[in-house]
Amino acid sequence: MTLGRAQFSRRGFLGLGAAAGVITLTACGSSAGSSDKPLVMTVWGGDPDRKTYQARIDLLVKKHPDLKVKLQLIPGDSYPQKVQTMIAGGNGPDIMQVAESVNTYSSKNQLLELDDLAQTAKLDPEQRFGPVGSLYTYQDKLYAIPDRSGAVTVFYNKDMFDKKGIKAPTAEWTWDDALDAFKELTVPGKVWGYSGAEWFPQWWSLAYQNGGTIIDANGRPAVASDEVVEALQWAGDLVFKHKVVPSKADYADMGPDIGGDQAFPNQKVATHANGFWVMSGLTKVSFGWDIAPMWRGKKQAVSAFGSGLAISRTSKQRDKAFKAIDFLTSTESQAQIIASGQDVPANLEVQKSQAFLKPSWMKTDVDMGVFAESSEFVFRAPFIPEWNEMIDTISNGLADFWLGKERSAKKALTALQKDLEALIKSGA
Amino acid sequence: MATSTAPKAAPGAAEKPASPKPRKQKLSTRRRREALSFYLFISPWVIGFLVFLLGPMIASIYYSLTDWDSFNPPKWVGFDNYVKLLTDDPVFWKALWNTFYYAAISVPLGLVLGLWLANLLNKQVRARKLFRTLIYLPTLIPLVATAMIFRMVLAPNGPINDFFGLFGLSGPNWLLDGPWVKPALILMSAWGAGAATVLLLAAMKGIPRELYEAAEVDGASATRQFWSITLPHLTPIIFFNLIMGLINAFQIFSQVYILIPKGKNPAGYDAAQTMVPLLFDQAFSYYRMGYASAISWLLFLVILVFTVIAFRTTRRWVFYETEVK
Amino acid sequence: MATLATPVRKRGHEDRQAPAVRAFRATPFTYGTLLIVAAILTTPLVFVGSIALSSDATVNNGAFTIIPREFHWDNFSRVFGTELPVGTFLLNSVLISLFSVAGQVLSSGLVGYAFARLRAPGKNTMFLIVIATMMIPTQITMIPQFILFRDLGWVNTFLPLIVPNFFSNAFNVFLVRQFVSRLPSELDEAAMMDGLGFFGIYRRIMFPMLRPVLIAIGIFTLTHTWGDFMGPLIYLNDESKMPLALGVQYITATSQAGQAPPWNMVMVGSILLALPMILVYYLGQKYLYEMDISGGSAGVK
Repeated sequence: MTLGRAQFSRRGFLGLGAAAGVITLTACGSSAGSSDKPLVMTVWGGDPDRKTYQARIDLLVKKHPDLKVKLQLIPGDSYPQKVQTMIAGGNGPDIMQVAESVNTYSSKNQLLELDDLAQTAKLDPEQRFGPVGSLYTYQDKLYAIPDRSGAVTVFYNKDMFDKKGIKAPTAEWTWDDALDAFKELTVPGKVWGYSGAEWFPQWWSLAYQNGGTIIDANGRPAVASDEVVEALQWAGDLVFKHKVVPSKADYADMGPDIGGDQAFPNQKVATHANGFWVMSGLTKVSFGWDIAPMWRGKKQAVSAFGSGLAISRTSKQRDKAFKAIDFLTSTESQAQIIASGQDVPANLEVQKSQAFLKPSWMKTDVDMGVFAESSEFVFRAPFIPEWNEMIDTISNGLADFWLGKERSAKKALTALQKDLEALIKSGA
Repeated sequence: MATSTAPKAAPGAAEKPASPKPRKQKLSTRRRREALSFYLFISPWVIGFLVFLLGPMIASIYYSLTDWDSFNPPKWVGFDNYVKLLTDDPVFWKALWNTFYYAAISVPLGLVLGLWLANLLNKQVRARKLFRTLIYLPTLIPLVATAMIFRMVLAPNGPINDFFGLFGLSGPNWLLDGPWVKPALILMSAWGAGAATVLLLAAMKGIPRELYEAAEVDGASATRQFWSITLPHLTPIIFFNLIMGLINAFQIFSQVYILIPKGKNPAGYDAAQTMVPLLFDQAFSYYRMGYASAISWLLFLVILVFTVIAFRTTRRWVFYETEVK
Repeated sequence: MATLATPVRKRGHEDRQAPAVRAFRATPFTYGTLLIVAAILTTPLVFVGSIALSSDATVNNGAFTIIPREFHWDNFSRVFGTELPVGTFLLNSVLISLFSVAGQVLSSGLVGYAFARLRAPGKNTMFLIVIATMMIPTQITMIPQFILFRDLGWVNTFLPLIVPNFFSNAFNVFLVRQFVSRLPSELDEAAMMDGLGFFGIYRRIMFPMLRPVLIAIGIFTLTHTWGDFMGPLIYLNDESKMPLALGVQYITATSQAGQAPPWNMVMVGSILLALPMILVYYLGQKYLYEMDISGGSAGVK
C-alpha cells in the first residue's frame, strides 16, 4: 500500500541533503495539489465525536456534492503533534478543529485569516454566534469560526435535594449559599455535596467571579492576586476543610478512572459542575437530575468549553474549506451536534430551537435553556499563544495543593506566579 | 572469553590468504577487488550512518542552538537553550531528578532480583524449566501491553492494593499520588527482572564445577560459595546489564506516556515526568524544536557520564576470567 | 564467552549424575521462594485474562477480579467487529515487522560478513565507529529524523518505520561479525579458489551458515518493531495505518469522555500483542539464547 509509493521528489532530495549535514531551511512549498483531493478535516475526541462529525459531513456532501471531506480523528493527547506534522510538512488540514490553544497557531502565522472569506460568504459571526463569535480572534483578526460552545453548568441530583428539602441551585446563589447546601448534602464517607473544584475551568470560574483574572490586561500572569488567592482557597477548603468535595483519594476509592463525571451518575456526589458531556453518562440513570446555571460571587462568571473550525495556511483549497465550514456551522448541520447528544452547538439559533431544548434522546425534563442563559456571563479565558505550556504549568504548580499537601492557596499561587512569569515573557 | 576470541579470529582470517603467494600483480588486483567489495558490502551501513545518524546529529546540534517552532525559519540563539535549561527551568531539573530516581532504583533492583532468582534456579530444582518460563514470561510482553496491564494492576482497587487489604492495610493511590507514581514505575520494571535472570543463569552454568567442589571440600557453606565463586564470575555480565539497564532507564518513555496519560492524569504525569517525555512535550506539543534538541544533548551527556563512571570503576569490581588464566 | 553455549549443555548432563554441592542443593525454602515469586509474577497475567473475559457491564463498574468469574470468549471475536479496526492494526503490525526483519537480516548479514572477512584500508576505524554508534541515544536523532521524513513526505506512511532497517544497525553488525569470525575460513577460501566472487561466497557459502545468527537478529528486530510505540506515535496519523502497539493505546486515548475505556477490549488487544512474541520466543529460543549470551558479554569490552 503505502510502501510502494516512495515519492522521491526534488524536495525529498533536499531533505536528504539536510540530513547529511547540509542544513537547509524547509524552503519551497510543494506544488499545488490537484483540487479533486478531498478536504482533510482534523478533529480530536472519541468515538461519539467521530460519529457526529461524520454525520455532519455526510449532510454537507449531500448538500454540496462538489465538496469531499475526509475526517481524521486524533486522540487529544497527540493532536498538537499530529497537526504540527501536517502543517509543517506543507499538508496542513484544510479544516482544523481548534480550541483554547488556537493562538499557538495564529501567533505563528499558521492559520488563515478568515475575515475576508467570511465577508464574501456573508457570514456574520456576531449574528450567528453572539459574543462567542469573536472568541477566536488574535490581534483583531478572526482565525476560527465557532463550532461548539457550552458553558459549565451545575448538575444536581434532584432526589437528594428534595430529600434534604434544599431548593434547586440558581444563578443567584452566593458562595455561602453553595457551601451551606453542600454541607447539608454531604454524608461523610458516602456522599459528597459537590464535585468539580480542581480542574482549571472549574476554579477559574470562581476566580473570575471574585474579580480576579489569570492573565491581566497587559498580558502578564496575575494568579497571585488577592482575588484569585481567595477563590482558590475557597475551592481548596471545600475539599480539605469542609470535606464536601471528594479528594483524589476519595475518588480513587470509588474505582479506577473515576472522577466527578462518573461519581455524579453513581450518586456519590450531589452536585457537579462541568461541561455538557456529563449528560452522556446520565441518559440511563434512575434518579432525577437537572442542570442549573453556575452560582455567583461578587459578580457572575463561568467558564465555557468550545471549539472552532479554522483553515491552515497551507491549505490549497481555501474557498472550498470555508464553504464547508460555513455549512458545518449553519443551523442545519449544527442541529446534528445536539441530535446526537455530542455537545452544545455554537449556533445561537440552534441553541434556542426545540431540537436543542427538547432533544429526542433526553428522557427526563432537563432545563436546556440554562446554556443560553449561562452564555450571557461566560468570561473570556486568556487564549495566549503559550496556552498548552500555561495549562501544564498550572496543573503542575497546583498538584500539591490539590493533594492537600500545600494547604495555603497564597503560597501555591505565589510559586505558580513565578513559574508563569518565567514562561510568559512576551506580554503585549 | 569472547574478548579473547574476537581479536584472535580477525588476524587469523587475515593471515591465511597471504600464504600461497602467487604472482604479485594478481595479488594486488585481488586486494583491490577485495577492498572494493568491502566498501560495497558495508555501504548500507555507511549510508545509514550518514543519513540516519551523523547527519541528524549535526542537524540536532544546530537546532539546539536555535529557537525554532518548526513552522517558521529557525532563529539562531547560541547557547540560550542550554543556559535556560540549566539555570531557569525547574521542570527540567525535576525531570532529571525523576529520571535519576527511576534509574538509580529500578536498575540495581532488577539486577539483584534477577541474580537472586537465577541463583535459586541454578540449584537442582524440579520443574526448573517451568519456573524459568514463568519468571521469563513477563519480559516477553511488549511494553505497551505491560503498561496497560499495570494500569489495572495498580488501580486503587486492583490486585496489589487487594493484597495489602489482606493485612488490613490500605494501599496507596499508585498512579495519582505524587510520591507513589515513581515507585509504581519501578514496580512495573521489577516485573521484568526475569530478563536478567535468564542471562545470569546461562552464565552461571558456565562456571567450572570444580571450583565449587574444591570449596565444598574446604567446608564452605552455600552462601559462602555464592559470594566467593558465583558472584565474582558473574561480574562481567552484571556489569553489562548494569550499563545497558542504565542507558535504557534514562530513556524511559512509553511506560510514562501510557501508564500515566497526561490528559487524564496530569498530576500523576507531572510527578513522574522524566527526560524523554519532557523532550517529547517540548518538541511536539509546545513546538520548541530547538529547546527539545538541547534536552536531547543534555540527556546524552548524562548517559555518557554514567557510562564512563561505570567503565572507570570496572577494574575494581569486574572480574574477567582471562585475568585469572 | 562464545564458547559458552556448548559447555552449557554438557554440564547439564553432568548435573544429573554428580551429587549436588551445597551451592546447588535445593531446600524447601528454595521451592517455597520460587513458588511465591512465580505466583506473584503470574498474577498480572491471570488478571489480564480475567479482564479480557469480562462483560461490558463489569468493565463499567470496574468490578474486576483476579481469578476470572465470567468467560466471555466472544470478546476475542468481538474485538475485530468494533469501530476500532483491530484487524487492521494487527495486519499493519505484521507488515511493518516483516519488512523490518527482512531489512535487518539482509543488510546486517552482508555488512557483518564484510567486517569479519574482507580486508580494506580503514576497516578498523570504521568498525570502531560502528561500536561507538551503539552509545548514541535515539532521542538525539529523533527530531532531525522526524524533520527529514517529514520533508520526504513519508509521515503517515510505514516508510519511516521500515526503511532505516535496510541500512543495518550497529549491534546486529557486531553480532554477525562475531559469529563469522568464529567460523572456519577454509570453506570460503576453497570457494574463492573455485573462482567465486566475494558476493558469491557470501550468498552461496556464508548466508546459509549464518542462519542461527540471522534468525536471532530476526527475532530481536521482530520484538523491537512489534512492540515499538514511540516510532508509530510520531509518524502515523491515520488509525487505518496504526500497528497494534499504538492501536491498543489509541483505544484508551479515544474512549468517550466521562466513561471508562473498554478495558476488556484493551486487554484482548494486549493479549493479541503479547501472544506472537511468546510464540516467537518459544520457537526461536535456542538461537536467541546463544546469541544473547555471546552478544551480551562480548559487548562488555
